Amino acid sequence: MKYLARRFAHAALLMLAISVFSFALLQCTPGNYFQTMRLDPRVSAQTVAALQSQFGMHQSFLMRYIRWMLSMTHGNMGYSFSYDVPVAVLLQTRARNTLLLTVSATLLAWALAIPLGIWSAASKGRWNDRLCGFGISTVLAIPDLVLFLILLVFAVRTGLFPAGGMLSPGFGSLDFWGRTKDIAFHLTLPAAGLALTMLPVLVRHIRSAMLDALQSPFIRAARAHGIPRTRLLLRYAFPAASNPLISLFGFSIATMLSGSAILEVIMSWPGLGPLMVQAILSRDVYVVAGIVMLGSCFLVVGNLIADILLLVSDPRIRVDENNEAAL
Amino acid sequence: MIPNCTPLKASCEGTPLLEVRALCKDYLQRRPLTREKFRVRALASVNLSVDYGATLGLVGESGAGKSTLARCLAQIEGPSSGEIQFDGRHVTGLKGKPLADLRRQIQMIFQGATSALNPGFTAEEIISEPLLIQRRSGCAEQRKRALELMEQVELPASSLHKLPREFSGGQRQRLAIARALALRPKLLILDEALSHLDLANQAIMLELLARLQKEQKLTYIYISHDLGMLAEIATDIAVMYHGTVVEHKRTAEILDRPEHPYTQDLLEAMPVCEPACLASRVVER
Amino acid sequence: MKRRYKLWLALALLAAFHVFVLFAGFAAPYSYSAEDRNLPYAPPTALHFVDAHGHFHFRPFVYAIRDNPQAPGSYTEDDTRAYPVHFFVRGSSYKIAGLWRLNVHLFGVHKPGRIFLMGTDGYGRDQLTRFLYGGQISLAAGLIAAVFSVGLGVFIGAISGFYGGWLDEILMRAGELFFALPWLYLLFAVRAALPLRIAQWQVFLLLLAVCGILGWARPARLIRGAVLSAKERNFVIAARTYGASDFYLLRRHVLPQTYSIILTQFALLIPQFILAEVTLTFLGLGVGEPMSSWGSLIASLQHYYVMASYWWMFLPALLLIPLFLAYYVVADELQEHFKSVPL
Repeated sequence: MKYLARRFAHAALLMLAISVFSFALLQCTPGNYFQTMRLDPRVSAQTVAALQSQFGMHQSFLMRYIRWMLSMTHGNMGYSFSYDVPVAVLLQTRARNTLLLTVSATLLAWALAIPLGIWSAASKGRWNDRLCGFGISTVLAIPDLVLFLILLVFAVRTGLFPAGGMLSPGFGSLDFWGRTKDIAFHLTLPAAGLALTMLPVLVRHIRSAMLDALQSPFIRAARAHGIPRTRLLLRYAFPAASNPLISLFGFSIATMLSGSAILEVIMSWPGLGPLMVQAILSRDVYVVAGIVMLGSCFLVVGNLIADILLLVSDPRIRVDENNEAAL
Repeated sequence: MIPNCTPLKASCEGTPLLEVRALCKDYLQRRPLTREKFRVRALASVNLSVDYGATLGLVGESGAGKSTLARCLAQIEGPSSGEIQFDGRHVTGLKGKPLADLRRQIQMIFQGATSALNPGFTAEEIISEPLLIQRRSGCAEQRKRALELMEQVELPASSLHKLPREFSGGQRQRLAIARALALRPKLLILDEALSHLDLANQAIMLELLARLQKEQKLTYIYISHDLGMLAEIATDIAVMYHGTVVEHKRTAEILDRPEHPYTQDLLEAMPVCEPACLASRVVER
Repeated sequence: MKRRYKLWLALALLAAFHVFVLFAGFAAPYSYSAEDRNLPYAPPTALHFVDAHGHFHFRPFVYAIRDNPQAPGSYTEDDTRAYPVHFFVRGSSYKIAGLWRLNVHLFGVHKPGRIFLMGTDGYGRDQLTRFLYGGQISLAAGLIAAVFSVGLGVFIGAISGFYGGWLDEILMRAGELFFALPWLYLLFAVRAALPLRIAQWQVFLLLLAVCGILGWARPARLIRGAVLSAKERNFVIAARTYGASDFYLLRRHVLPQTYSIILTQFALLIPQFILAEVTLTFLGLGVGEPMSSWGSLIASLQHYYVMASYWWMFLPALLLIPLFLAYYVVADELQEHFKSVPL
């Protein structure tokens, strides 16, 4: 339990540091929304001043930061100047869409990578392992951006998949199943693209972790006992290999968030990515800060989940704690 | 239990070369997964003394603190508390120039010469590195000294340009010895320096070390598990157990009349062909 | 090392790429800003060796391009006018390293012939020329950012590993912070903090600095690991017993053990930073005209009609693949090599 408490505290401190970091970054913005507004002759100087004081722009850094943090705890993440809605409302739908995309991509990637990795490790050196390795290296070499563009061109040219977007026109008139199918249809290509970017790294790690596990003495002993090969692979080797994979899981969330931003822009998926780009171009600072915070939050939570999984799966941590308690 | 002994040659004032009093050393460690800190007591009040020209055998099980003691003596680490006297002077907690002077006089030879030699350096670079660091002499002088040292350890001068991997295990250990002698030290600490060699090589190396001791008037502290070997070469033996010296006597006395139960265990565990002749194997030097 | 033919092949490819990009003025047939408004979105010019009469020529030639009357907006070749391809032709002038003015180009055709090996864009600009010049920005971005990143990583990792203690704790916690942040979001955030209207080259340098600052965490952690293990090696301890200073130990004994890590990290980070620059520019957040990089070339693909009708606009994106592949092969081979070298 102490381990968990420590990891929680660590995560909380990390989030605090990130919040200061992102807020500080935004305060460095030299030209902000209000300056452009001031240049607009249709807006009077008093309106600008009133808006500025409403947002507390004249207070000190610390005051503004505290104000921001307090409002965050109430669920108010500031106000979007260009969309004219509270940031939290704006982020809600967008974040949901991004989560849908990233979670399905993660599931898809791991669902493909685990069997591929195990199969590859089990038939090491043979033609299927080599083919797999070759395919992996090729996909790895394709930069994410180019991969997504290739997928989009594929969709455009063949018409098999929708060329981006999340909903078809006339979405509102569909029933529940119709809507689910529509979203799933639109989700296929983006999720596949994102999964493809993660797949090579995952397969490589799983393969090498499995190879390490397969070489350990206890596997050899099990084989000598006559345990059938499939059972050996799945019930003996794979659990032994899963330890490093759990940390990999936490780490892969980070790369995925970054990858999803580009994907969303290219495939017009209404998630956090395009919103972020828009916000930067229109200097909508609270939106940018909110997205950075949210993204980091996902990451930290993901890593925390990985830590919990590690605690559950690795008995050494629990043993260490018990030892300490006994000391 | 400081023995009332006659040293190899008449020492200056009858004071020992090295005297250690109540030396303690603690380490702070972390558990690997949960990252909790805890303290490990490696040395718990060690008392020891070594005479000029003696060969002290330091024996004990793994984890008894022998290497820690060696590191404290060789000034690789500082003790947590206690006192060390060398050549009549207090040397605990020295810094700067006095420390540099002290370092010249105490040298260490490690277990496994392979890790003690930088694989990218040539033999000449390895041997003359101490001179280089201490900036004692110019290039030509260093070369001359390197040749001298190679001769002393019976290595051919033609192999000065070779890399460590081109030498055999025993030859690498000779290089390590040559390097240790470069600064003309008074005390040489050998931390299981011969454990990795086969018996034939060990015998040769022991002879070499004995010759060097006579020629250069060295004092040795020899750390080992092998009580049998120590019985042949050591003037006195100190037994370490759980971070402290439990018994320190002349070799013959220890082998004959071990007092501490741990020493008795050690002696019983020692494989000898004829236990009765063990005491007679010790040659009074 | 000599038997690693994959490594040498990859290095040769990388060298060729970089040389062509470095000498873009020489390698490209046209100048950077040359436009031909009469030929927007022209497909890549085909090289012919056999003419309309069936004669074989050693020297390849191209036909003139004219509008296709049957399909407005597209082009056909005019068999009656052939222009042989010459090497080392005189063309528009350019500067090498801003110092020497030359006007020799690697290849070209005499006017009014046109050779567009990668087609043209909406303004009639030769894509090959733009690719080579754009590469100067993107490749430089990757290299410089990688140098910042690895340099900072080595510095912090060495100090952290060597001295340990509270300094190590703080630095590694800071590193974790950087790991925790989604790097692209952070890059966006920093870009947001920069004024939209500062000079392009300043944007460029600032983004590089940010990439470097964001990227130090991984190399630092690896270097710290190597320093920690090297620090405990007996030859380092031995050198310490002769009174070696910390600086000497780092310089002569510890850091040479990290060269392998530094090299592999370079090979891995350079393509990542190239991609970061290309992505940012693609999204409109990086460098813009006139310093357009590969990202600007690929950005035109965001328009539906471009993607649907003009396949050659995809070529700059596709050409990134062998470049990245070469870098990854170098990194892999280096890792294999260093694993097998006996220590």
